[in-house]
Amino acid sequence: MPNGSSSPACTSEGVPSGVRDPIDTFIASAPPLQRTGMRLLVALARRPRGAALLARVPATNQLAQIVLVLGHYDDPAVGCALGWDGAAVVARGRALRRAEGRP
Amino acid sequence: MSATRTQSIHAEVCVIGAGAGGAVVAAELAEGGMNVVVLEEGHEHDPDKFTARAPEMLAELYRDGGQTMTLGAPPILLPLGSGLGGTTLINSGTCFRTPPRVLERWAREFGLEVDERSLRPCFERVERALSVSEVTPELAGGNAAVARRGAERLGWSHGYLRRNARGCVGSGVCAFGCPTSAKQHTGITYIPRAKRAGARIVTGARVERVLTHGGRATGARARMASGTAIDVRAPIVIVAAGTIHTPLLMARSGLGGGSGQLGSNLSLHPAMGVFALMDEIVDMAKGVPQSFYVDEFAAQGIVFEGVAGPPAYVAMSLPLTGARHAAAMANYRHLAQFGVMVSDSSRGSVRALAGVPLIRYDLVDADLQRFRIGLARMRELFEAAGAREVYLPLPDGVSPQGARLRDLKPMAFHPLGTARADARATHGVIDGELAVHGVRGVYVADGSAVPSSLGVNPQMTIMALATRLAFGLLGRDVEDAQASLEAA
Repeated sequence: MPNGSSSPACTSEGVPSGVRDPIDTFIASAPPLQRTGMRLLVALARRPRGAALLARVPATNQLAQIVLVLGHYDDPAVGCALGWDGAAVVARGRALRRAEGRP
Repeated sequence: MSATRTQSIHAEVCVIGAGAGGAVVAAELAEGGMNVVVLEEGHEHDPDKFTARAPEMLAELYRDGGQTMTLGAPPILLPLGSGLGGTTLINSGTCFRTPPRVLERWAREFGLEVDERSLRPCFERVERALSVSEVTPELAGGNAAVARRGAERLGWSHGYLRRNARGCVGSGVCAFGCPTSAKQHTGITYIPRAKRAGARIVTGARVERVLTHGGRATGARARMASGTAIDVRAPIVIVAAGTIHTPLLMARSGLGGGSGQLGSNLSLHPAMGVFALMDEIVDMAKGVPQSFYVDEFAAQGIVFEGVAGPPAYVAMSLPLTGARHAAAMANYRHLAQFGVMVSDSSRGSVRALAGVPLIRYDLVDADLQRFRIGLARMRELFEAAGAREVYLPLPDGVSPQGARLRDLKPMAFHPLGTARADARATHGVIDGELAVHGVRGVYVADGSAVPSSLGVNPQMTIMALATRLAFGLLGRDVEDAQASLEAA
C-alpha cells in the first residue's frame, strides 16, 4: 500500500539550474499579459493575507498554486525525497552522448 | 541617428522554420542539389544545458515558456517548441502514419490527391531517417504496465507506440529536452543533413514578410535581435513557421487571403490527463513517458496515450489542491497517469493582435461529450488495473457525465489546419501540392497545411507531406529514391 515512504536516496547532488531563479525565469518567459498577472498572483499567494484573498477565487488561486508547487517540487532535494533523481538522469544522458558520440 | 544594416543572401529556396516540416523539406532539397537557406526564429539548443528541471526547460525550449493559451470556452494551454527542431524538440516522439480514413476524407472533402499508396514511400523515408520503431515493454515503464493491465482486463484494443528514438534509455523527460539525444528530433537529424548538403541555417531570425513581385515569390525578409535585416532572395519560399505563426506571417505578407480561410479551421486535439494512485510502485518517469496507447474508442474520436514526468511536472498537473495535493505527491512513486485525447470537431482561428497571435477556440458539444466519455472510460481503465484512487481532472463533486465546459482544463499539443489545403482556391489557402493559391513559388509545409483533425499525433503526417513537397520540387520520384536507399 502506498505510504509515501518508499523513496530511495539520490545518488548525487541535484543538477544545478542554469538560471538564478527558475520560477522567475519561467514567469518571465510567459506572454506579457500572463506574465504580469502571474507575478501579481504569486506575490499575493506568498503572503498570508494575499493567500486568504486568493482562496476566495478558486480558479485564480489554482493558477497561483500551480506556479508555487512547480517551484517547490523543482527543488532537487524535494524530487530526491520522492524518488526521482534528476541529477542521475542528466549525468547518464551526458555520459552516453560522450561515450557514443551522440549529438 | 542609427543605420540598420541589411544583409542579402541569394538562394534557390528559402525555408522559414526548422521544425517538423521545414527541416525535412530543407534537407531533402539541399541533398537534391538545391541552394537552400533556412530562417529559424529560435536557437540551436545545446543538450549539455538540458537540466531536466521543468521550469527552466519550459522557459528555454518552449515558445512563451510553454504558456501559450487559447481564448474561449474552455481556455486551453497550447505548448509549442522553439528552436531547431521546433515542437519535435519537446514532443513525446510518437509516430503514427496518417490514418487511411483521414486520407479518404481529404480526397472526398478537399479534393486532395493523396492516398495511402502514394504517401507510403514518404513515410518509409521519414521513418528510416528518424529510426522509428516500436517501444519495447522493458522501456515502456510502469505507467504503460498499469494501462496495459487495465486494457487487457477490459478487453480493449491497445498497443505499444512507435517512436523516433535511437538508443533510448527511458530518461522520462522527453518534454524537457532529451538528455541522451535519443529522441531523433529534426534539430539533430534533418538539420545536420541539410547543413552537410550545403544549406545555410540562420537562427534567431524572425521573418517579417515573404517577398513577392508580380505574383511570384522573390524571397523573405527577416530581422535579427541585433536589428540587422536579412533579405533572402529566392524564387521559392517554403513557409513552415507552424500552425499558429504561419497564417500570421502570410497575412503580414498579403498572401493566402483569397479564400477567407487563412487563420481559420484550427484543430488542436485537446487532451486531459487522469491520475491514479496504485498499490504498486509505478515510477512514471522511469521509462518512455508516451509509450502505450488504447484505441478502443478511436472510432468515436477518443484515444488514450501515456503521459508522465518528474515530480515538478506531476505537481503542476495533478488536479488536487492543498493537503490532498501534498498527500498524493508524497506518493509520487505510486502515481500513474494517462491522457485522454480528443479528435476534435471544434474549430478555432488565429489572428494577430498588435503582432501577437490571438488564438480563439471554443469546444463544441460533440467534443465535450467525447471528454465525458473519455474521462469515464479512463476511470474504468484505472479501476480495472487495480487503482486505489482515481484523480479525474474535474472539480470536486463533478462526474464525467455531469461535466460542463467550464469544468474542463484541457491542454493541446497538435495545432493544425490554419492554412489548409484544398484543391479549390475558393476553399483553401494552398492546393494539393502545398502551393499557395494565387501566387507562384510560395508553399506551406507545416501543420497549418493539414486540412482536418487526424486523431493521431501529427508529426509523421507533416514530415511525409514535406518529403512529398521536396521531391515534387526536385522533379524526382520519392519511390525511386527510397528504393535506391533500401538497395544501398
